[in-house]
Amino acid sequence: MKCTVLTNPVEAIYLVTLLLGVVVLVLIAIYYGLRSKRVRYTTTYLSGEPESVVSSISPSIASLYWGFMRRFAKTLYRHLVESVHTGSLHDWYRFLSSWLALLLVTSIIALALHALMR
Amino acid sequence: MDIVETLYALFSVLIFPGLLFLIALAFFTDYFVRKISARYQRRMGPSYVGPFGILQPLYDFIKLIRVKEVVVPRYGMFRVAEVCLLLGIGFIASSIVFLPLSPFSVVSEFDVLIFFYLSSVMPILMLVLASLSMPGPYTNLGVSRLLSILTIAEPAYFASIVVPVYLASRHSQPFMSITGAYRGVHTLYRDPLTIVVLILVVIAFIVSVQVKAMYPPFNIPEAEQEIIAGFLTEFSGPTLALARLLHYLDLNIALLAGVYVIFGGPAPFNHFSLGGAIMLIVKYVVLLFLVVTVKNVMGRYRVDQALVSIFKYSLILAVLAALISTFTT
Repeated sequence: MKCTVLTNPVEAIYLVTLLLGVVVLVLIAIYYGLRSKRVRYTTTYLSGEPESVVSSISPSIASLYWGFMRRFAKTLYRHLVESVHTGSLHDWYRFLSSWLALLLVTSIIALALHALMR
Repeated sequence: MDIVETLYALFSVLIFPGLLFLIALAFFTDYFVRKISARYQRRMGPSYVGPFGILQPLYDFIKLIRVKEVVVPRYGMFRVAEVCLLLGIGFIASSIVFLPLSPFSVVSEFDVLIFFYLSSVMPILMLVLASLSMPGPYTNLGVSRLLSILTIAEPAYFASIVVPVYLASRHSQPFMSITGAYRGVHTLYRDPLTIVVLILVVIAFIVSVQVKAMYPPFNIPEAEQEIIAGFLTEFSGPTLALARLLHYLDLNIALLAGVYVIFGGPAPFNHFSLGGAIMLIVKYVVLLFLVVTVKNVMGRYRVDQALVSIFKYSLILAVLAALISTFTT
């Protein structure tokens, strides 16, 4: 036997959030009833080295961002630098206006299609 | 909701196919992955606990939860980690009401989007937050690698789930609903245009699930020999048990979603029939076997190689499938 609730997306979210609350409460009750009560505090694991081998325990947000940009988005970054950071205001304007023109043309096409479909 | 519906809802999210069933399925998945991997490597794998060693994952879980102490690094916030991991498990268990397997089924327009948010976005976010609650250099490296590869893999997984649902529900009500769509998915394999879309979707799905499971060649976030255990390094005892459970639940729900929305669930049989049940199990095990096979025959990529591979073999195919699907009537 199956019980189906046909509803709208907002009510579906409310319903599932309610069920999520029940599941998490049950999980917390079971977990804290079962788990070992012994807790031991240690130093951070650094392969046996002292903490002084790292300057900071967590990398900064800026380091993560630039690490990502330099290692994984190198081509994109180089392209942007070569197109925009040339020292000429004309290059910057050309780059920006080309993308704005593309957005403008796309919007006109979308509006025209919308008007035709109506 | 009346009392009967409430009882159905509680049974569905807590017993079947919710929390209890999903945890049992996670233990089976753990056993299957370890056993098949062992056979690929000419080892026995789990053999001693229960028949054919099938209870080994349960035994390991109980050992980690009950016997092992909680080891907390100096800067760790282990209660935050525990709550995040429990929330992640809760998100997956509550998302099950959108799958047709559930006796209590919630159906609405665009419910596939709610399902994706609950079963894919939130569990990974909770895992990341739990890892960052127990900070350390290896953990941070693992988390940044995890976020890098998921930035490309999650959109691919999303598209590979949404495209078949769109195709199967585009002429019916409720639109973009998993329960409404899964019955029509098998008919898409008969249309020459939609079968091309589905082939692209299947490839994109398998690659993105491999990334979500963090199995080779995409096991970069927990790369042993390089960064100890990556995002798992500072977990131990009960928190490690929860993190491993959440990881397998994430794999379970991704495979179950694939079984329903890409392969039509119990099709060509009815849902609540012996043939349907067998077909569901067969499809799940075949998909899992495929994932484990890829895990065992490939070596680990570097991060940049992995990003390019996920982009080429998952994201582009998924976007292409989405574009082609817009031309179908």
